[in-house]
Amino acid sequence: MTNFLEKLNAKIPSAVTERTEFRGDETLTVDAAHLHDVARFLRDDETSQFNLLVDVYGTDRAKLGQSPRFAVNYELYSIPHNRFLRLVTAAPEPEDSSRDALPALPTVTDLWPTADWLERETYDLMGINFMGHPNMRRIMMPDNWVGHPLRKDYPLGGEPVYFEHDRNNPRFAHLGKPIMFGPSFETELPEEMDTEGNMVINLGPHHPATHGVLRLATELDGEVVVRVGPEVGYLHSGFEKTGENVRYEQFIPYCDRMDYASPMANNYAFVSTVEKLMQVDIPEHVQYARTILVELQRLGSHLIWLGTHAMDVSGTAHAISQYTFQMRERILDIFEMVCGARMTTSYFSVGGLRWPLPGAFDAAVRAFLKESEVHMQDFEDLLTRNPLWLSRTKGIGILKADDAIALGVTGPLLRAAGVPLDLRKVRPYLAYADLDFEIPTATEADTYARYTVRVAEMRQSLRIIQQALDKIKPGPHRTANRKVALPPREEISTSMESLIHHFKLVTEGYRPPEGQVYHVHENPKGWLGFGLLSDGTAKPHRLRVRGPSFVNLQATDLMARGGYIADLITVIGSIDIVLGEVDR
Amino acid sequence: MDPQLVTDLVVHTILIVIVATLLMGGFAAMTVVERKLLGRFTLRYGPNRVGKFGTLQVIADMFKMFFKEEVVPDHVDRAIYLMAPGMALVPAMLAFAVVPIAQAPFVLPFEVFGYTITVNPWIADINVGVLYILAIGSLGTYGVVLGGWSSNNKYSLLGGLRTSAQMLSYELPMGVALLGVIMLAGSLQLTQIVDFQNAWLGLRWFILFQPIAFIIFYICSLAEAGRAPFDLPETENELIAGFATEYGAMKFGLFFGAEYIHMIVVSFIMATLFLGGWSGPFATQVPLLGIVYLLLKVGFILFTMIWVRASTPRVRFDKLMKFNWKFLLPLSIANAAVTALVAGVIFF
Repeated sequence: MTNFLEKLNAKIPSAVTERTEFRGDETLTVDAAHLHDVARFLRDDETSQFNLLVDVYGTDRAKLGQSPRFAVNYELYSIPHNRFLRLVTAAPEPEDSSRDALPALPTVTDLWPTADWLERETYDLMGINFMGHPNMRRIMMPDNWVGHPLRKDYPLGGEPVYFEHDRNNPRFAHLGKPIMFGPSFETELPEEMDTEGNMVINLGPHHPATHGVLRLATELDGEVVVRVGPEVGYLHSGFEKTGENVRYEQFIPYCDRMDYASPMANNYAFVSTVEKLMQVDIPEHVQYARTILVELQRLGSHLIWLGTHAMDVSGTAHAISQYTFQMRERILDIFEMVCGARMTTSYFSVGGLRWPLPGAFDAAVRAFLKESEVHMQDFEDLLTRNPLWLSRTKGIGILKADDAIALGVTGPLLRAAGVPLDLRKVRPYLAYADLDFEIPTATEADTYARYTVRVAEMRQSLRIIQQALDKIKPGPHRTANRKVALPPREEISTSMESLIHHFKLVTEGYRPPEGQVYHVHENPKGWLGFGLLSDGTAKPHRLRVRGPSFVNLQATDLMARGGYIADLITVIGSIDIVLGEVDR
Repeated sequence: MDPQLVTDLVVHTILIVIVATLLMGGFAAMTVVERKLLGRFTLRYGPNRVGKFGTLQVIADMFKMFFKEEVVPDHVDRAIYLMAPGMALVPAMLAFAVVPIAQAPFVLPFEVFGYTITVNPWIADINVGVLYILAIGSLGTYGVVLGGWSSNNKYSLLGGLRTSAQMLSYELPMGVALLGVIMLAGSLQLTQIVDFQNAWLGLRWFILFQPIAFIIFYICSLAEAGRAPFDLPETENELIAGFATEYGAMKFGLFFGAEYIHMIVVSFIMATLFLGGWSGPFATQVPLLGIVYLLLKVGFILFTMIWVRASTPRVRFDKLMKFNWKFLLPLSIANAAVTALVAGVIFF
């Protein structure tokens, strides 16, 4: 297990200062001076091969009494060895003590290109500089923002908000006047763009094919895309900061609003992270119920993708989007029956389900499964062998396995490149170990491969739901651990202890032990990761969200280059992004 | 002045006004029919709020279009910008002039100011009718191209460029496909082409002899009218309505109308050239029946056009051009050559 560590210590002595293990998470504390060498070793050495950089995020440890104040966490995953590893590197304090000086670390973008946006986000929100980063700009906040919001000393509420469109800004004095006198302003473009020789066109932030407020500065040579500069952050709502100021349980509704196409899966990802931190035992009934609901959610998310993707390729009049939404309606009906909400479900709670499954659940899901077979066939009839669809998707937006891994791309995009990486299979959780299903893959790595992979995944989800429905047994819908889950109502009337538990849980929430965990769930769009740094209080000290859409979106430029502008739209659709999750 | 000429002029003018009005009415009806049908194709109801089954939606839309503020952006080439919608609309209508809707001129049963009035079931029965249709068809491109150009918007420019390339190149296979029909009918005159088809109980349609030409013509008509899957000048998901991005209110309405009228006229032409026009069983004896036949055929073609829109992905621009130059054009030439050979063997 640890032989790469011995090798590492022999090769770069004194680089790793500490090795800890907490809740199954392995952490290496690495000296800042050796970070880059250690990272390179871990990526390249055959005993480690941590080729996938899952996440980069900073922590502000001032209130934990640790020094130096800032640390950066690198979550690594080794696809060949199926192993997670966290590197923690303390960022040295800046030498000059002026207010603007930032602690700095070497960049790892040259090792894992995915670190580009992740490090920019860390810089933007935590104020840690990455030396050698090609484009160290703010990514979420406006360029003229003051301060770094995720720092613990950043004021909460009441602070002046510097918006570009400030009313007193003379540049925007024209607002409110007739539109014809409105001058247009230079927008910021990626530096390498050739605005003289080629045409640069701004797709978005208000564009029908960007699925939200995404801006794609696109350099065009005729109709051929030379390069694309995706610009995100228009929808940034500070979920991480919010999460650090509410109790663990209270963050669950926020998860619904990140990837609003798959709230159940988001709920599960967060809840399971807290459960990992608190080591809660989950009853079998809950495991199966969660499996069914998460798989229904996967179907729902893929249905939105299929409908909107076909619409991107075909125009808004195409019939399939409505057909997919019809099938998704049935799923939402089931969710509504289960928890009263259709999109913002918040149904999972730490330790179980918020309410028991309704009695008609089984029959409703079975009815859905029966009719969905017909629907799935309809979709495939419309598209799978349609020559126009083939000509629009085959060979378009190729993302090879090596590039995908280097860019941290996960989910169906990676599987369409031939890498059978699915956490449900390689590290089974929930009830997946007991169920028989396959991980569909394809080798072409183009848009059509992603289509076939996702459609096959939908069929596998139907299979999983069917099996889970057959195997689910009645049982308690919550863990018996009273420190986490509320006691049943009847018990409160008879037991003083239960009343106290109830009171404590409702008024204070639970207090997980001190420690840091990172947990990844196979969301419909890719890996949704949650990082929690607990200081022993009822609120997380640091809450990190790794949105699969955010990381996958980085691949846009690579996939769209050399294609036509129509292919760029196809590529965006085939990545399957939700801007609520990209910007969080 | 020859009194007959004067009556002819007056009658023609009245006829033109009627046809133009009917075409505008057809456009208005099509907007509702299309939305209604698309609604059905896509599991929705379509408009159903205004009037019974949404039939009065047309009027509501017209009111909306007319009463919207006419915004002319500051950065446009004003004269061309304002002219373009009209330039798109008028040629679309003009092509209808040569379409016969019945066999013989109709003599009014009463005299007006002592003159006998003869009403032709066409506006002009010129002997180069097919050429006229092709010529007018390519004129319609100007409106869209100039609209895209004068808007001074990158999206519109791309839309306009696509139009010029697409519409002009689809003219070619369209014209070549018609060669077969012309050869078999032995005339460019639409009345004679229909007369040829009005045999075998009015069912000797050219689609039987020229199925490939019909398919080519159908595809090219979609491309010329800018209909899905060839609606590349607009492409709402890529170019945000392309050439029409900067247009609003009734100026947009005119572009919109041009597309629908183009679609209607092209359906009439298709019905006339390939589906026998007004001909059909007993259409010679009962001329009114001929008009009904023609409208049914046109209605069917329009229905398929909407159907196609709801069920096919859009073609990519470069593939569209490839498809045209490397497949449609050779196919239409081959079709014309084979027709010439076979017709030559049979007739001579």
